[in-house]
Amino acid sequence: MGKSPHPLPAAPGSTGDYDRLETLLQNLPGMAYRCLNLKHWPMDFVSDGCLELCGYERHEIESQSVLWGDFTHPEMLDFVDRTVREAAERGEPFEVEYRIIARDGTEKWVWERGRVVDHRADGVAILEGFITDITDRKLAEAALVRAEAYAQAIVESAVDAIITVDDQGGIESFNQAASAMFGYRPGEVRGQHCRKLVAADYYREFDRFFQRNRRPVQNAPARVELNGSDKRGRNFPIVLSMREILDVAEHKYVILIHDLTEQREAERQVREQRDVLAHVDRLNTLGEMAAGIAHEINQPLTAISMYAQSSLRFLNREQPELQRLEEALEKLSQQAHRAGAVIERMQEMTRPHQSHQESVDAGRLLREIHELGEVEAQIRNFIIVLRHDDRLPRVDCDVIQIQQVILNLLRNGMESMRSKPCNPGSKIVLQARLLGGRLRISIIDSGHGVSSQLAGQLYQPFTSTKQSGMGLGLSISRSIIAAHGGQLEFSNNKGGGATFFFDLAVAG
Amino acid sequence: MTAAAAIQQVYVIDDDEAVRDSIGMLLESADLPFRSFASADEFFAQLDHNQRGCLVLDIRMPGMTGLQLQQRLAEVGSTLPVIFITGHGDVPMAVEAMRQGALDFLRKPVNESNFIERIQHAFDIESGKWHQKHDREQQLAQIASLTEREREVFDLVAEGLANKAIAGRLGISERTVEVHRAQVMKKLGARTLAQLVRIHLQAEISGFESK
Repeated sequence: MGKSPHPLPAAPGSTGDYDRLETLLQNLPGMAYRCLNLKHWPMDFVSDGCLELCGYERHEIESQSVLWGDFTHPEMLDFVDRTVREAAERGEPFEVEYRIIARDGTEKWVWERGRVVDHRADGVAILEGFITDITDRKLAEAALVRAEAYAQAIVESAVDAIITVDDQGGIESFNQAASAMFGYRPGEVRGQHCRKLVAADYYREFDRFFQRNRRPVQNAPARVELNGSDKRGRNFPIVLSMREILDVAEHKYVILIHDLTEQREAERQVREQRDVLAHVDRLNTLGEMAAGIAHEINQPLTAISMYAQSSLRFLNREQPELQRLEEALEKLSQQAHRAGAVIERMQEMTRPHQSHQESVDAGRLLREIHELGEVEAQIRNFIIVLRHDDRLPRVDCDVIQIQQVILNLLRNGMESMRSKPCNPGSKIVLQARLLGGRLRISIIDSGHGVSSQLAGQLYQPFTSTKQSGMGLGLSISRSIIAAHGGQLEFSNNKGGGATFFFDLAVAG
Repeated sequence: MTAAAAIQQVYVIDDDEAVRDSIGMLLESADLPFRSFASADEFFAQLDHNQRGCLVLDIRMPGMTGLQLQQRLAEVGSTLPVIFITGHGDVPMAVEAMRQGALDFLRKPVNESNFIERIQHAFDIESGKWHQKHDREQQLAQIASLTEREREVFDLVAEGLANKAIAGRLGISERTVEVHRAQVMKKLGARTLAQLVRIHLQAEISGFESK
């Protein structure tokens, strides 16, 4: 020290003060300097921090055997030079961040602040300032920028709409997928309530979902399915999930929205195919039951013709028996209705049918299919025993399709019993019992049971043990039950025969 | 015999109540007496040897079928004619029913006037059969009234033996044979030897065993 040709001006007068300053400078994480505002900034004073900052000793710099401009990254030299020169011309302090290359070749980011403190006699400005290593901060900043860029890229490239909202539900960000899904530009919806994206019919449901996830309560639903509504007012099915963004001073939430339109369409196609197959199966089944159905219609027709003839006879007597005549006609009319009902039931089974579930009286469902099953049972000389709890609940189902399944299972059971020497009047049981909150429907036969060989391919379409069977029955039955959220299962009975069963949801 | 006083009626057996009821009403309108049964078992349980008339029988029913009832009736020697009615155009079943001696096989819905005619026809047939059966039963009763010795003489006469030979076979006098023979003729209402032989033959057909 002290050898400097340009001692620090304004340096405090006393040596003690100067020492204190020296100590202070030594402890600073960086380098204080004084230099001339010339090319490459020749320095006549630097503090000890220079060694750590750029790898050169004080004397090497102060002797000007190396110049500061030599360390400055060539790419940034002009930028630094311009910044400093412009500030110097205006007489203002400058602040600049740039890269240097240290003696060992490592690159560092530095931050420098300085100002003109004096001028040499020739007018060259004398600068004083401070330079410190900010590499760590720069790296962290870069990492942060990179992380944000990643996050942004992910959010923007996501197929699902991702939006963030504040505690009140106000939209803060809106990704590209959200724009594509809902037709709004981010600017249009920012600050608006996110309910805007939901069809009006679903406001209440959405609000409830939002509230329960805003301050998550126990068992808050993780997702909710409802209809979204886009800018043009088109409604479409969406599933929506919501999560709080943690580590944010205020409450903020990210909401993910997935468009279910395609999924629903695929589901609809599957359902349609199932409906068509089910229809084919019903036609086939009823075709196979034609003899029984003819019988079922012949009974009332027989009665009708008998009553009609009786009526004529009562009328043609010398003393017409009007009371008997009236009775006969009334009974005739009843039988006509009976025949009509049979035909109507057949028509219902044969009509193409779009599946839909509704709440129905399980008792009625069972009685109807029991009657239809009896048509077949009578011909084969079996008895279908209907066995159920005293009180049967209402169940959610598609009546036609569930009846179709039961009819299929009854017919299969009878087929299996027929191929075994069974006594006439053998029984097949149709049973309904409440089991764990669901209604279990079982069809219990006393036929051959299901061999392990058959069990593997039981549900495959076009597999049949029947000569005339299409082998559709069980496979379509299984898919109908699956569409009802259940499973068609079977077990072999201890005493021979098999039981096929499935559960129906009790109407809420 | 009280059986002689039994009236002919139609036994309607069908598991379908409406069919049963409507047939009943038609029969009633034609002034034909009838009784209805919901099952073959129910009818069979009350079957009485003296019942007369005919059956209108549904071929397919839960429990005992019409064909099975027809078989059981044959087994117990019932002579009631059976008119089958069926809703099924089941040819093998019709053949089987006719083979088992069914009088008729009518398809539902039944042509009514034809139906009444068929019933009348069945009644006529049953009448004939009943009288035949009645006569035969009378004959069997008459045979049963013969004494041991008279039976022996009856059998041997029917075999074609002359009185003398019979006397020799039985170790009695020819005169005694003559007396027995006259008694047999009287008891059986036979006026000639030919009649006596025919009565014996008929009795054999009915299961009567020669001594």
